[in-house]
Amino acid sequence: MLIPLLQNESLKLLRRRRFAIVLGIMFVILTLVSYSQYRQLKDQRNQNWRAELQERIARYENQLRRGRMNPSWARSMRAEVQRLQFYLDRGINPEQPTAPLVVRTFANAAGFLLLPLLVAVLGSDIVSAENAEGTDKLLLTRPVRRWKILTSKLLTLWLFASLTLLLGALISYAVTAPVLPAGGWDAPTFNGFQISGEAFKLDAVRQLPLWKDALIAYGLEWYALLAVASISLMLSVIFKSSAASIGTMLASLIGGTILTRISPDWTAGKYLFVSALPLPDYYTGQAPPYDGMSMTFCITLLGVWALGALAIAYGLFTKRDVFG
Amino acid sequence: MTALVASHLTKVIGDRTIVDEVSFELRPGEVFGFLGPNGAGKTTTIRMLVGLIRPTQGTVTVCGYDLRHQFEQAMRCIGCIVENPDLYRFMSGRENLEHFARMLGVAATEIERVAALVNLAHRLDQRVGTYSLGMRQRLGIAQAMLGNPRVLILDEPANGLDPAGIREIRELLRSLAAERGLAVFVSSHLLAEIELTADRVAIIHKGRILRSGTVRELISSQRMMEIRVGEPERAAAILRDRGVELTVEGDDLLAPIEEAAAPPLIAALAESGIAVFHARSRVHTLEEMFLEATGGESVD
Repeated sequence: MLIPLLQNESLKLLRRRRFAIVLGIMFVILTLVSYSQYRQLKDQRNQNWRAELQERIARYENQLRRGRMNPSWARSMRAEVQRLQFYLDRGINPEQPTAPLVVRTFANAAGFLLLPLLVAVLGSDIVSAENAEGTDKLLLTRPVRRWKILTSKLLTLWLFASLTLLLGALISYAVTAPVLPAGGWDAPTFNGFQISGEAFKLDAVRQLPLWKDALIAYGLEWYALLAVASISLMLSVIFKSSAASIGTMLASLIGGTILTRISPDWTAGKYLFVSALPLPDYYTGQAPPYDGMSMTFCITLLGVWALGALAIAYGLFTKRDVFG
Repeated sequence: MTALVASHLTKVIGDRTIVDEVSFELRPGEVFGFLGPNGAGKTTTIRMLVGLIRPTQGTVTVCGYDLRHQFEQAMRCIGCIVENPDLYRFMSGRENLEHFARMLGVAATEIERVAALVNLAHRLDQRVGTYSLGMRQRLGIAQAMLGNPRVLILDEPANGLDPAGIREIRELLRSLAAERGLAVFVSSHLLAEIELTADRVAIIHKGRILRSGTVRELISSQRMMEIRVGEPERAAAILRDRGVELTVEGDDLLAPIEEAAAPPLIAALAESGIAVFHARSRVHTLEEMFLEATGGESVD
């Protein structure tokens, strides 16, 4: 029963050209990224990176042999030596931009603002546009219960949020692979560096091949985007105009980010959904803006926000009177 | 057998009663006119009939199903246009019909059938944004006819149409009722239009139904004989002697009598030497009746 409704909602979303706009924005941004990375690659051609790399490895190994350093520093250094040696053995410049690295970086770089914004653009008018155009009167007077209609809209939004992320990854690979080295999916990555006081906390450091690391980052971003989509749906139900719901989403995304920077002492800020939104950053090792924000906390917080938003959306949509 | 029963529908918002104890029924093969000035509660009533607004009190039963508790079965019986025929302007007429056909689970062949019904087959593949209002009205009716409903509910279908468009819609509605046995509900603030379209009428004002009945009943109850004479005062006295109740309006005498009763009265006036210029039966239009019923408040 839901399949025809999903078909309807997907058709309308595509026909409103929202998705085309989203893809266009990603394409333009990623093309610029690709060009800048290509310039960086060209600059590096003039340097003898092998010699530099060997020199760095030798310097670190010397320091390690001399000892007299605290154990966590030593571990960090050993990890770094391992990483550099890996690149040297394979003849890869670790500073060299590759297409897989750009794909991996996209999850973090776009995860905290661009992707949530694009999902907000997709979602914020999925209900309010029907109000604004008057088509809600037709949609809701067909023999289909209101909760089914809202569910079809939610699933459509989740579907297109997922597609946005997936296509973001594909586009970033497609525009960089022709100009940058296209391989390197198995390059080692080191994640989870945490600064505790003066020293690195290395217990949390993980070594993973790039493809696995990228999958985790994208998985976390996917989860965050589903939460953003759910909140967008609620705004779209609450507001009658598409502009109001998109505006509110934009303001909360940007406002929340500003808030965490300006008043880091106001610890209640950690309960805002924007504080928990950049999951890939926290996974990579960036410290969340407030104390006590573990990965579990962030994931739970986003889940609670999404469920709360959906409860409000369903409550309003299924019960309210539809006036002109 | 009734197709739709509205029983004691009431909507209260805050401390304002917008619709107050409205009851009526729709019968198959009949066009029911719902008449009232703007703001009388017509649209709120219609929105309650189709489940957009939940009544504070009262029930709607469609084809025997309770609208609130058996929404899907009840709505399968109804096709409707509430207020404007708002369809998806960024899609073609065919895509719009496909959209709603998917919601109903009806076959694609239905689309050709309903498009032919409203004479829109030739423009079906153009974007609705390019349609005229009359075409959108017809597409709206085509949409409403998907799935063969037994009740058709239209809110002000004549709004914004030119006279030719209005006549076209009127004829379509009449034929849907007469030939297909649909129960058609039409709201309007245009009295002349309802008079031509509807079989039965209910007049709503300030949320209450003031009168209802067949159009003929409402009109014949308002039949007046108008006699223009040379000496109205003397003529009035003569007729009053004969037991006729009448009022004098300038040179005209107005009396609520049947045509058959007129000749002896005219003869009596002539015998008394009173000049009779003309005598005619004057039918009150719904408009006059409406003004009377609402205490002289204007319709628009």
